[in-house]
Amino acid sequence: MSLCAWSNAIVKLMNNATIDPTPTDWNGAVMQKRIAKRYAAERRFKAMGFIAVALSTLFLAFLLFTMLGQGLRGFQRTEVAVEFDFPALTSGATAASITGPNADTTLNSMDIPGIVELAVSQQYGDQGSELLTSAAAANVRQMLADNPQLVTAKQTLWLPAESRLDVAYKRKGEPASEKTVAALEQKDALRSGFNWTFLTGADATDPSAVGIWAAFKGSLMTMAITLLLAFPVGVFAALYLEEYAPKNKLTDMIEVSINNLAAVPSIIFGLLGLAVFLTMFGMPRSSALVGGLTLALMTMPVIVIAGRNAVKSVPPSIREAALGIGASPVQVVFHHVLPLALPGILTGTIIGMARALGETAPLLMIGMRAFIPSPPQGFTDAATALPVQIYLWSDEVNQGFVEKTSAAIIVLLIFLLGMNALAIYLRNRFETRW
Amino acid sequence: MAETTANPKISTRNVNVYYGEKKAIDNVSIDVDMDNVTAFIGPSGCGKSTFLRSLNRMNDTIVGARVEGNILLDGQDIYASSMDVVQLRARVGMVFQKPNPFPKSIYDNVAYGPRIHGLAAGKAELDQIVESALTRAGLWGEVKDRLGDSGTALSGGQQQRLCIARAIAVDPEVILMDEPCSALDPIATARIEELIHDLRGKYAIIIVTHNMQQAARVSQRTAFFHLGNLIEFGETSEIFTNPREDRTKDYITGRYG
Repeated sequence: MSLCAWSNAIVKLMNNATIDPTPTDWNGAVMQKRIAKRYAAERRFKAMGFIAVALSTLFLAFLLFTMLGQGLRGFQRTEVAVEFDFPALTSGATAASITGPNADTTLNSMDIPGIVELAVSQQYGDQGSELLTSAAAANVRQMLADNPQLVTAKQTLWLPAESRLDVAYKRKGEPASEKTVAALEQKDALRSGFNWTFLTGADATDPSAVGIWAAFKGSLMTMAITLLLAFPVGVFAALYLEEYAPKNKLTDMIEVSINNLAAVPSIIFGLLGLAVFLTMFGMPRSSALVGGLTLALMTMPVIVIAGRNAVKSVPPSIREAALGIGASPVQVVFHHVLPLALPGILTGTIIGMARALGETAPLLMIGMRAFIPSPPQGFTDAATALPVQIYLWSDEVNQGFVEKTSAAIIVLLIFLLGMNALAIYLRNRFETRW
Repeated sequence: MAETTANPKISTRNVNVYYGEKKAIDNVSIDVDMDNVTAFIGPSGCGKSTFLRSLNRMNDTIVGARVEGNILLDGQDIYASSMDVVQLRARVGMVFQKPNPFPKSIYDNVAYGPRIHGLAAGKAELDQIVESALTRAGLWGEVKDRLGDSGTALSGGQQQRLCIARAIAVDPEVILMDEPCSALDPIATARIEELIHDLRGKYAIIIVTHNMQQAARVSQRTAFFHLGNLIEFGETSEIFTNPREDRTKDYITGRYG
């Protein structure tokens, strides 16, 4: 203490000897200039921050605006009024004959495509059948199955219009189609309806008949496989590396490898999936199973890294407290460390899963770019995924696919939002209040 | 020299503790019995906490830590391969420097130990254990109406008493306290000291403290450590009024520390 005081006194003496002892002038011109400069710096920083936020908001608004402007039309379809004189067209089918267990056989024997073609050409002339989309006959069949009473009288049914007509009605189309639209509109024979086919159907060559359900289901199944594999493996790897593994060269190397793995371009994982799962193990091409496995390889390192950080951030005092009353290391991990780390792990998982959901390249490599006309029934069936479907539709020349692409993007974004919302809900549920 | 007693709870013989190459504790032999509170005092870095943590093998979790010599609990070597470390830590409880309740309810904090060791047959018995542990820790009156509240919502002193309740809920034989009052204000400290006084005789208590007045107030026997060596060990009154060693005398009179 005494030594310390001495040295302080000596320093003071020396300072007094060399520095002019005039008091600081806090109100002087130099000081005022400094203050003004400081305020200016504050204002500059605030302005730059505001500009940055405004710019990013603008980009987001632009994206949403164009997406919704284009995409919402994709959920609508143009419908043409067609008159069906069912008693004449079906040569006297009764409501009873198309109800009950034999309904399917009767409907199959009725040649509905022929009936539709006949009805349209009666009303709109020889070119009439070109007004409707190829799926119109299936729609009529569905209507009859849902409501057999229709068959007993004359009906006006609204059937989905063919793609070029659809485009011409919604916006600018080809001159010939525009003319047809004008003619039909005069007869009040066109209207807009909600496109249920888009939500329930699968890919088709005709843009007015395509649906997103097959790709959505494919994505759902792929994500399920990815989550089921990447989450437990990732979490256990993180826990083991943080809580059990000895700290040595080997674990250092593993850590570096995992960090590098998280940065590997996704197409490399696609090639790996192609070489290992398809060529070596002979798993079915283009299936949700292989897609999920490949994406799990890609997602796992992300979960491991996030999981390790979350586990690391659990205060050591909690571990000591549990060990101190005789909890075994496994009990410490599962009763205390894991519950406290779970919110962080879930955040990491959702980042990895969101990336996997939007991933296209690796799925192309394992053949998920095939034309899938019906939803996959199992994990080994040929399937496609939402981003791949978007990629495929954006490549189509037919004008009708433009809005379908945007609509598919909206569906993908909603899927993503749903996934994030679920993760946030789970995180808040497990979050411990300190 | 009062280094041995007739019926020791814990007795250590020629204990050395190493962190890697560094020797943190050099040749320490001490006996601790049930009837007295034993205080470890000494300047920072003298090894008193290290020695305390070797008594329930908490040093096992530190990479490179190594213990030589014998540490006997009821005559049984705690570093023998036959000793189950989980059971040892249930028998030798610990209270840490910073209050560290689990981020769970007050009830779950106290019930955690009995649950993992299967000490209660049913809900009623567990309730009983929780109540008696909280009562012994002098906390029951303050928390009995809010057992569902988070343990971390209590004040610092209450948290530390909760940690003591958590330790005694598993019915230990020894309680190790590692500077339990260093993060507390004087009033909370006084409550903890009273509590230690009440617990004396039911458990063998060892307390590490920086505060010499505290050692004088709560303990009957005191061990003075310096640079990893046990300098002096004896009756607290003896150490503080008539130390045999000059280094002890210099320390308690505030010459260094």
